[in-house]
Amino acid sequence: MRGVQEHGTVLTRLATLTTTRPEEGRDHMHEVTILPDGLQVTAAEEETVLGALTRAGLKYRVGCKRGGCGICKVQLVLGEVRYERPIAESVLSDDERVEGICLSCRAVPITNIAIELQEGDRLRRVLGFAYPNSAPPPPGRAASNPTTRNDRKERIT
Amino acid sequence: MSVMRLGYVHLRVTDLEEARHHYSNILGMSVVHEEPGKLHLKCWDEWDHHSLVLEEGGVGLVKLGYKCSSDDDLGQFEKRCSQFGATTGRFSRGENMTVGDGVRITLPSEHTLELFSEMEFTGTDTGTINPEAWPRDMRGVGGHWIDHALIAAEDPGLVERFFMECLDFRPAERVVESIEHPEVVGTWMTCGDSPHDLAVIKGPNAKLHHFAYHLEDWGALLRAGDIFSMDDVPIDIGPTRHGITRGTTIYFFDPSGNRNEVFAGLGYRVHKDFPTINWTVDQLAKGIFYHARELNDRFTTVFT
Repeated sequence: MRGVQEHGTVLTRLATLTTTRPEEGRDHMHEVTILPDGLQVTAAEEETVLGALTRAGLKYRVGCKRGGCGICKVQLVLGEVRYERPIAESVLSDDERVEGICLSCRAVPITNIAIELQEGDRLRRVLGFAYPNSAPPPPGRAASNPTTRNDRKERIT
Repeated sequence: MSVMRLGYVHLRVTDLEEARHHYSNILGMSVVHEEPGKLHLKCWDEWDHHSLVLEEGGVGLVKLGYKCSSDDDLGQFEKRCSQFGATTGRFSRGENMTVGDGVRITLPSEHTLELFSEMEFTGTDTGTINPEAWPRDMRGVGGHWIDHALIAAEDPGLVERFFMECLDFRPAERVVESIEHPEVVGTWMTCGDSPHDLAVIKGPNAKLHHFAYHLEDWGALLRAGDIFSMDDVPIDIGPTRHGITRGTTIYFFDPSGNRNEVFAGLGYRVHKDFPTINWTVDQLAKGIFYHARELNDRFTTVFT
């Protein structure tokens, strides 16, 4: 995992997001920011980090998707998650929890969060037609386009 | 004198009720005994009392039990395992529900293996007199029986030698580094005439890769895949075919992340004169997933 300091710019921008509770009308929905890309997706209520990324057409390294293998661990850089199902100590140890390691297939955000994928892993788009990862859209389309680029930060809902 | 078959898998699960739903309603096993924190289950086409023990707390394998022909065999196997250098011990009748006296062995791969020769005979759902082809109240996938297990070992060649020398298993197929340098990367071993009763692949000691349910044919396998989609069971890969064993397959995960397989179509029978088939490691992907011919990274990384 790379250190937080490498993403200072993005984190500064995120600082207000990650410490605030959800706004009115979007009860219990939380932003998940994936570093270093700065890409953002929204996790629905009770939705896991993996569930939110998958629903947005994003793919990264995962295993059993049921909390048994630990392949989908990510670094929780900012924010908090909770686990609604028991997790085996052999999969996610107390020490790892303290270090901010997060089992993404079981972790449900309870604040806005920022995560960083494992070293060597990368985010892939499997719904390229729905969420094109190309140049920024022409001026004037930004307001209505959910995939508008904003420097390195994007929003996918 | 022989080991007959895989008799039981004892597995840890993080949530017993979710596991009950998966193994009972989705895979179609019957719960034959329950106590706090533990379930015993069997498939409709199995003769003995149970073939799966689920224990709440953690994930992964507690132990595998293989059924032998007689008590005399147990003593012989125990002696050979001990001479090989493995830690062995005895367990008493009743220590495993309805199972007789047996031998407990710690494999060179640190897995616990139990040998037994008696378990209460409770019969299949179709019985022994003019049986129907299958029970009409079969649930879900309706797996016939637990067929085999694949375990991980840091030195699969050593485990292969252990099973050959101590327990009279034979490698039907194996994956080697190369024909010139036949270091074993994986081995598919039989104690009867099925392509494999136990397989071992290079990986972390004491870990389970999967255990498998026998299905009748490709149609049953496809239907199983449909049920997994209906019930949101995560599929690892399939339906497809293995090059090794020629069996057709779906890998999938239980609610705790333990990998299961449904396996159909015995590719061949392993008679006494069957020569070992060798695959070279550069063809491993084709050996495992015959159609895609590429491994997904989960195959060699996801163990419980």
